[in-house]
Amino acid sequence: MTDQKEMDAEIINLVIARPKTIPSDASLSVGGDEQKSMTSEDLIKEVQQHSEIGRQIIESQLFFLRSLKDLPLEIDA
Amino acid sequence: MLSILITRPRYETQTHYLYHWSELIVKVADNGKNKVFDLQKEKATRKNVESYLKKRTPDIAIFNGHGDQNSVTGQDGQDLIVAGQNSSLLKDCVVYMRACSAGKILGLEIMKFGARSFIGYQESFRFYINDKVYFNKPLEDDYAQPFFEASNQVALSLVKGKTAKDANEDSKKVYRKIISSLLTSNASNSFVIPDLFWNMRNHVCYE
Repeated sequence: MTDQKEMDAEIINLVIARPKTIPSDASLSVGGDEQKSMTSEDLIKEVQQHSEIGRQIIESQLFFLRSLKDLPLEIDA
Repeated sequence: MLSILITRPRYETQTHYLYHWSELIVKVADNGKNKVFDLQKEKATRKNVESYLKKRTPDIAIFNGHGDQNSVTGQDGQDLIVAGQNSSLLKDCVVYMRACSAGKILGLEIMKFGARSFIGYQESFRFYINDKVYFNKPLEDDYAQPFFEASNQVALSLVKGKTAKDANEDSKKVYRKIISSLLTSNASNSFVIPDLFWNMRNHVCYE
């Protein structure tokens, strides 16, 4: 496996791990046809099953991680 | 004076939150100068929306509810505005749809039929809730608060007379401010940040 592929795999693992940080009392309204409200366990299942919602969860986590370098911090004193 | 149509159904947990957070918009809009037509709960029907829009052209039309690429819904999930059916009724209005995916097809069609502007979401509008604790006081739910404060700002700016472009920018400023604040704190709700980014990224404004 190339260094780049190893790095990509690491990033995906990191993204998959992130829903585990969501508190158990939180549920996410994700809309869609079934208008679902999902717990962290549900989100992890969706990611593991490579469903459309799981794909969107990975996409949003990756977008967030990539955006950090461009985020203009606006902090009021 | 502005004339404002707002729909805010309430029939399950997600619309319960939308309904209560939209109440803040109604309170600001209903300042004695504006004319506010508040279609809440059972009044958020297609019949009422169409009847109102056939008689009057509101300056601003704000829809809160579920949605998809082609429609936005009202009470009990009934369609209110549907692409290819009644979207031309929003001609000359500034339209804000806080609903999933309506920015994809419906918003473009609303603009094609002559709306002044459209603000909405191209993908799902996401929000976290802690309804086990906060169902009866959704305005105090700090998981939901960042999502509704940022998305409420569009409507709050519009009802204060700002243009759609400025309202859109105001909302994005609030998103950035909340995200920055969460990133630099030990807040227990910082896990919401990626989904705030998601909403901000999928937030569209057509003029």
